[in-house]
Amino acid sequence: MKIGEIVSNRILQDDYYEIKFYVPEICKKTQPGQFVHVKITNLQDRILRRPFSISNVSEDGLLTVIYKVVGQGTEALSKLPAGTVCDLMGSLGTPYSMPKADEFPIIVAGGYGSAATYLIAKNSQAKGILLLGARSKTDLILTDKFAEAGFDVRTSTNDGSQGHKGFVTELIAKALEENKGKKIRFYACGPTPMLLALAKILQELGYDDGELSLDHLMCCGVGACFACVVKVKADNEDGWRYARTCKEGPVFKAIDVYTGEQ
Amino acid sequence: MIDLSVDLGKFKIANPVMTASGTFGYGFEYKDYYDLKELGAVVVKGIATKPSHGNPTPRVAEVSSGMLNAIGLQGPGVDKFLNGAEYMPFLRTSAATVVVNIWGKSIEEYCDVAARLDAESEGIAALEINISCPNIKEGGVAFGTDLKLAHKVVSEIRKVTSLPLITKLSPNVTCIADFARAVVDAGSDMVSLINTLTGMAINVETRRPYIANMTGGLSGPAIKPVAVRMVYEVAQAVDVPIIGMGGIMTGDDAVEFLLAGASAIAVGTAIFVDPYAPIKVIKGIEDYLKRQGCKSVKEIVGAMVK
Repeated sequence: MKIGEIVSNRILQDDYYEIKFYVPEICKKTQPGQFVHVKITNLQDRILRRPFSISNVSEDGLLTVIYKVVGQGTEALSKLPAGTVCDLMGSLGTPYSMPKADEFPIIVAGGYGSAATYLIAKNSQAKGILLLGARSKTDLILTDKFAEAGFDVRTSTNDGSQGHKGFVTELIAKALEENKGKKIRFYACGPTPMLLALAKILQELGYDDGELSLDHLMCCGVGACFACVVKVKADNEDGWRYARTCKEGPVFKAIDVYTGEQ
Repeated sequence: MIDLSVDLGKFKIANPVMTASGTFGYGFEYKDYYDLKELGAVVVKGIATKPSHGNPTPRVAEVSSGMLNAIGLQGPGVDKFLNGAEYMPFLRTSAATVVVNIWGKSIEEYCDVAARLDAESEGIAALEINISCPNIKEGGVAFGTDLKLAHKVVSEIRKVTSLPLITKLSPNVTCIADFARAVVDAGSDMVSLINTLTGMAINVETRRPYIANMTGGLSGPAIKPVAVRMVYEVAQAVDVPIIGMGGIMTGDDAVEFLLAGASAIAVGTAIFVDPYAPIKVIKGIEDYLKRQGCKSVKEIVGAMVK
């Protein structure tokens, strides 16, 4: 197999695809929450790379990305057959720190945010809860993998088609109530509005060491271009500064997230 | 052995390939990819007197064969640049040839940052005066699209520093050669061009502009023919070295600029596609010279056949 070769690229469920690349060097380096920056070869006049969260890595050098077809880049990616050789940069970005043995991890994920947090569940000695929210039951992905990894999976959907009807953040209170006295550690990935709401909750409850993966339209992937910034708290007159999600993030501490107007 | 070295008058570089300001961060971001000494020069992202947030997001949009950006010169300010470990102190240890791009909202601010850098100029080969950023409300391109202001800002900066001055020109003017003449007359030792072309892209579904600043600077292969033409025009107008840039992706792209009259070139947007692009461009220029039987890169500067 060649470095960067696509080993498989298939529909996982509905609009969600699972692609596997042969990239042993990247796999060795990968930590939970990091991403790869992919040059999609069949994109004609579109020249920039696309960042994808790393969902899984294996010892035999296979790196898994789960993606949804949302635009030209992912549309083109979905058409690449196995055997195509791609150019991947990675693994990039600041990772999640793993839960310590005496901690109880609660992962809060929205949509395919479950893909970006799966490696925490897989690699962690300490097992906890996954709170996964999505629009509808067809958008809930990787629930079986989290269960296999020993996590208690609880879901919510906006339309009530599976689990709690409403927002995933509404599942937090009960999870906390049930696990009183434990050293709880939060992890999160999902759409920005969900993460900002969650950051506010975690700051209010004092879970400052919670870790949230924020992102924005990315360009260089290594901190050079300043395209992908989000506001984080800062000791200046505005109370915030723009931080690069590709380099200083995507994972930020809950205490550092600026919850005012982004 | 092919001689890739370039004499820019006030300083020499090992090969004609620089990084375009704003596309290579402060060099630090690419230190794990290759030795920065391999580049002709590292041109850092714009430095001003004070730290700056830059523009709201979204800041970039991809378009056909290029991109629009309106980063808005987010930066650490000159104090942090001179003292922060990942800025100038790092660059000094890297032994790279460093060009510091500077900008301001007023002539006083341009002079202030130039004077500060002049006072601690160890490891700085030159200053590049950015009078062409299209994405900030005050300063920037306001100086680059008015002949009198362009002359004034460069002549005032000239008074406060003995460092070699490169003035980066805006393509958003009717006659770029006039601006080249004005800044050279004001004491600029060389010129670099082109900065980005002001552009716009609209999401037809939401009916909103793709970037928060509404307009942004167009870069990438889409602008290369415009850039080559402008380098050619400027080469006819002034006798100082020209640093050509705009959409260079390959060695042959770079050679076009050299043939049009540039003594050196800068790689920009291509770095976002491939961090190794500047290194590959150096190799590509060398391959071209071999293919053409040239002994030195100097042989092809302005060597276009009409």
